[in-house]
Amino acid sequence: MFFLYNLERRLTLHPSYFGKNMKDLVTTKLSKDVEGTCTGSYYIISVVGNSSISEGRILPGSGLAEFTVAYRAVVWRPFKGETIDTVVVSVNQHGFFAEAGPLRIFVSAHLIPGEIKWDPNGTPPSFHDEDTTIQVGTHVRVKIIGTRAEVGDLWAIGSIKEDYLGYFFHRIPLWINVHVC
Amino acid sequence: MSDPRDHDQPDDSDEEEDFNPAPADVSDDEGGNAGNNDEDVESSPPGKARKGLPAPQSDVGDDEEDEGEGDEDDVNGNNDDEEEEEEEDEEDEEIQGHRRKRARRKDKRGAFFDLEAEVDDEDEDEEDEDDAEHEGFIEHGEAGEAEQFAREDDARHRELDRRREMENDMDLEQEAERLKKQYGNKRSGRSMHDSAVVPQRLLLPSVDDPSIWGVRCKEGKEREVIFSIMQRIQQKQGTKDELGITAAFERGGPNSVMKGLIYVEAQRQTDILQALDGMLNVYPRTKLLLVDIKEMPDLLRVQKTPTLEPGAWVRLRRPPKHSGDLAQVIDITDNGLEARVKFIPRLDYGLRDDALAATTADGKRKRTMGPGPKPPQKLFSEVEARKRHPRYITGNPQTNIWQYNGDEFEKGFQVKDIKIQHLTIKDVNPTLEEVTKFASGGEDGVENIDLKSLAASLKDSTINVMYLPGDVVEVYDGEQKGVVGKATNVQGDIVTMEVVSGDLAGQTIEVPTKGLRKRFRPGDHVKVIGGSKYREEVGMVVKISEDRVTLLTDQTNTEITVFSKDLREASDIGGQGSLGQYEMTDLVQLDPTTVGCIVKIDRESMVILDQNGDKRHVMPSQIANKLPRRKLAVAADRNGAEIRPDDVVKEYGGMGRQGKIVHIHRTFVFCHTNATNENAGIFVSKVSNVATISAKGGRINAAANTSDLSTMNPAAKRPEAKNNMGPPKQMFGRDRLIGQTVTIKKGGYKGLLGRVKDTTDTHARIELHTKSKIISVAKTDVVVRDSVSGNVIKNYDSRKPGAFGMGRPGGDRAAPDWSNAGGRTPMASASSRTPAWKTPSAGGAGGAGGRTPAWNRNGDGGRTPAWAAADGSRTVNPYDGNRTAYGGSGGRTPAWSSGSKTPAPDSFSHGSKTPGYGGSGSSDPWGSGSKTPYGAAPTPGASGGDSWGYTPGASGGSGAYDAPTPGAGLLGAPTPAAMNAPTPGAYSAPTPGAMNAPTPGGGWQGGGWGAESAPTPAAAAPTPAASGFSYAVDAPTPGAWSAQTPAASGPRYEDD
Repeated sequence: MFFLYNLERRLTLHPSYFGKNMKDLVTTKLSKDVEGTCTGSYYIISVVGNSSISEGRILPGSGLAEFTVAYRAVVWRPFKGETIDTVVVSVNQHGFFAEAGPLRIFVSAHLIPGEIKWDPNGTPPSFHDEDTTIQVGTHVRVKIIGTRAEVGDLWAIGSIKEDYLGYFFHRIPLWINVHVC
Repeated sequence: MSDPRDHDQPDDSDEEEDFNPAPADVSDDEGGNAGNNDEDVESSPPGKARKGLPAPQSDVGDDEEDEGEGDEDDVNGNNDDEEEEEEEDEEDEEIQGHRRKRARRKDKRGAFFDLEAEVDDEDEDEEDEDDAEHEGFIEHGEAGEAEQFAREDDARHRELDRRREMENDMDLEQEAERLKKQYGNKRSGRSMHDSAVVPQRLLLPSVDDPSIWGVRCKEGKEREVIFSIMQRIQQKQGTKDELGITAAFERGGPNSVMKGLIYVEAQRQTDILQALDGMLNVYPRTKLLLVDIKEMPDLLRVQKTPTLEPGAWVRLRRPPKHSGDLAQVIDITDNGLEARVKFIPRLDYGLRDDALAATTADGKRKRTMGPGPKPPQKLFSEVEARKRHPRYITGNPQTNIWQYNGDEFEKGFQVKDIKIQHLTIKDVNPTLEEVTKFASGGEDGVENIDLKSLAASLKDSTINVMYLPGDVVEVYDGEQKGVVGKATNVQGDIVTMEVVSGDLAGQTIEVPTKGLRKRFRPGDHVKVIGGSKYREEVGMVVKISEDRVTLLTDQTNTEITVFSKDLREASDIGGQGSLGQYEMTDLVQLDPTTVGCIVKIDRESMVILDQNGDKRHVMPSQIANKLPRRKLAVAADRNGAEIRPDDVVKEYGGMGRQGKIVHIHRTFVFCHTNATNENAGIFVSKVSNVATISAKGGRINAAANTSDLSTMNPAAKRPEAKNNMGPPKQMFGRDRLIGQTVTIKKGGYKGLLGRVKDTTDTHARIELHTKSKIISVAKTDVVVRDSVSGNVIKNYDSRKPGAFGMGRPGGDRAAPDWSNAGGRTPMASASSRTPAWKTPSAGGAGGAGGRTPAWNRNGDGGRTPAWAAADGSRTVNPYDGNRTAYGGSGGRTPAWSSGSKTPAPDSFSHGSKTPGYGGSGSSDPWGSGSKTPYGAAPTPGASGGDSWGYTPGASGGSGAYDAPTPGAGLLGAPTPAAMNAPTPGAYSAPTPGAMNAPTPGGGWQGGGWGAESAPTPAAAAPTPAASGFSYAVDAPTPGAWSAQTPAASGPRYEDD
């Protein structure tokens, strides 16, 4: 789920950058630093405007200036129980991996309806029943049943073993990858 | 009428029963019930004969009723000595029983002989009489034969009915009377049991009851003894020598403490001796243990014995060969003493027999298995057995059941009846491995482990189940079944839990662990604890069925199934993945030429993917060391693009895998991919076999746009750097002080001679010659001495900070780097300048003092003519800013500084690689962050001429450090670069030897300045030129030997 979230961050600036465009530098640096990162439980997608930058304080010893920046960002936090649309990125007999933007989701074979069978002989290998095939690139609607935080990353386990989950067909790409360059 | 007569008789007989046995009784019965109560007659005798029990069965119905009446009276009458009475009653009954039984027995016997006949006769007589009577009536009426019969019949029936009624009435009254007389002031034990209101404590035995003695018997034969006692009782029943014992029982069992004892209840001890006399396996002559009255009830306390059920897992204790082996119960024998178990045989198929037979001819020890090793567990193989013992094997290949050597084998497993006491039933703890061995025996190859029985076996051993406060638990058995709560307290077997949902929500209940299991939900992050082989794995729950939980491990993304009792909720972070100092995806050195990446960590070992792509199982002890992760490692991919850790690369050809670089080691990259679980997603490839996917562009952009704002602004730095190299921040390379002989100037050790073992920036660790001790002394406090002569070497160049002043040539500081260099060569000082020095300086660099014409002419401050000539094709060294390595070298020369700027960038750019560059194998040296002489040095010109860049001409003409003189330039090579290298490695590298051997490069990359750079071939084998310079001193730091020019060869280490 996406949120607008007010956050705060401290940035340091080398004295050689002190000057008129300090604020710009700090703002740019902020965007560069935080966008696309993952804290323990959410991804910071984008910094949106009105960040307030405090006055810089010189850190004793190093001479660097420290700014406290309050900013507002679009964050995305996957929740347990949330249903999201994903794209399958890899399939193996234990299940398949799907991606929803930055989040990788594993759907175990246990959490795939029984009638969708693993077919190792297909090219590419896939899970399928009569009318659906889950292979790399398939769009799948997944319910998150658990998330796990690793250092700098999130990682989830999903299920398609419920009504209205699983394969779906849609013309519009449902998930736009929010990697910010 | 005949009725009273009929009924009198039974009454009498009943009353007289006690005194007067059989015949009357029999006749009574028969007489009384004659014809009317056929059922009774028929049913009772067999019952009595069979049971031999006290209560007369035929009158049960009546008796009970009557007794009931009597009871009430009794209860009203006297409650005081109930117990005694009860006891007496029992006795009475018993006696009666015996008597009666005897009577019945006779009766029964009699039934086959004359008694029956008598009865029949009687009946017939009666009938005859009746007939006679009837006949009288019949005479009156004229009727057909059939009619007459019918009437007769009818009359008889009515007669019968009437008689029955009368009989009943009389019967009850009289019976009541009789019983009242008999038991008037007594209570019957039976009725007492029936009225459930009697408190149990009143039933406890008293002193008047028979005593119980414990009698020794053979262990394991308890039950047999009891059976034989029962038999004997039956045999002696009704004979003269009836047994005097009232009860016998045993409490033996596999785990009982009362093994080897039976308990006999009797009034007198002699009864027991009599009863057990001559019986097998029991020893009444030994001391009998009189059981204390208080302990009697305990004897009969029922303990729940561990029940063995088919399918359960047990461990064998016997036979010794199999002790400790896991076995599965197939069946339990009826008496519950033996279990039929199957287990994996340990057979050697006679392989060892022969050897034994050969060694021991006496045949005595032949049979003993001896303490030799057990044969390994292996399923029975008919083929193997036939090889040696074709005669001993019989069986049926169809059913796959064999007998071999007296043992029975079914489908490869040995099957045997084993006494239950020879089995370990509790705490079996079968591991999954063991169990799978059993499962794999399935013919279809399908593993069909009976997890249920496994679970049951495991559950028996509650020791392993650990509940901790905070665990979410579910009651799955007992009254509270289905209740879910959170454990708040655990004491022994009792878990206090706070119910979280349902009707009981909010309440705190106590539950025994037995019916408890931990509860998880899909998606929970759990850690495996306890006995499972997956211990320490951490993963996320994907499936739960009953108490089996499937989880997906974090480390390897594989699914494992464990019991919920072996799981704990895990914190989000952490988990397995480290074994001692080693962690997943660490790069480790296996042997000097092999490195590998840890892809799996078990409890005691790990799996390592080595640089060749092979997987190895290693113990931590087999690992030489762990290579630190180097964030700055750089390599060039197959396109020559720079790759670094965390870049995404794709294999060119091969499997075309794509992954993020985890490690770069020499020419290997270890990458991680999410596409596969194999090796935890790690794969290895050659640097030259991968192509960058995304990194480079991104990185350049990043570098260009937003540099690190917490470091120096490069924009601000650059102009400065043009004029001035900037102070070297760090020094690289081996400190030349190391290995030198020094004396200590100050402190407690003042004056002592020693050798420098190691240095830091400020201090030197000195191994004293005088005593075996290593001390740490400030570098400023040592004086370097010649190891042979002991002369003080004044201008010894070291990295000591305070050394700037030493040998500084006064005012002729030509360039900042000069001044920073600190250990400037004596050459630079005017007094010792060679003509070559002086000449150019006179030519135009007078002020500079130490500069060659080339230097000056260039005007650039640091560039050689050679450089200038080649300028067109050269790029600016992007690493300009951090060319600190040069600065670090104390013995920098002008040539050095000039060289450093140009050739290096040149050679770096891949388009114009010099042979030298190529020779160094990979671009690793660059990755090390220090611009090495490598790139610059290895031009053919340089190497061809002289490693130092001192062509004979150059050296002849000037001091060593005037390398970038026109002379050098004439070589057409940017040789000055060679001078860049402030270290021995650098110096040695550009020698031809170095060119061939890429090892120095490795040395550079590794950052291992100390050890590795020195022993390069180049250093070991100085070029002719170098050797020409009296290069004998082992310290391979040419920089230190700044005076090594030919000119200086006379006054080496010129003194001040």
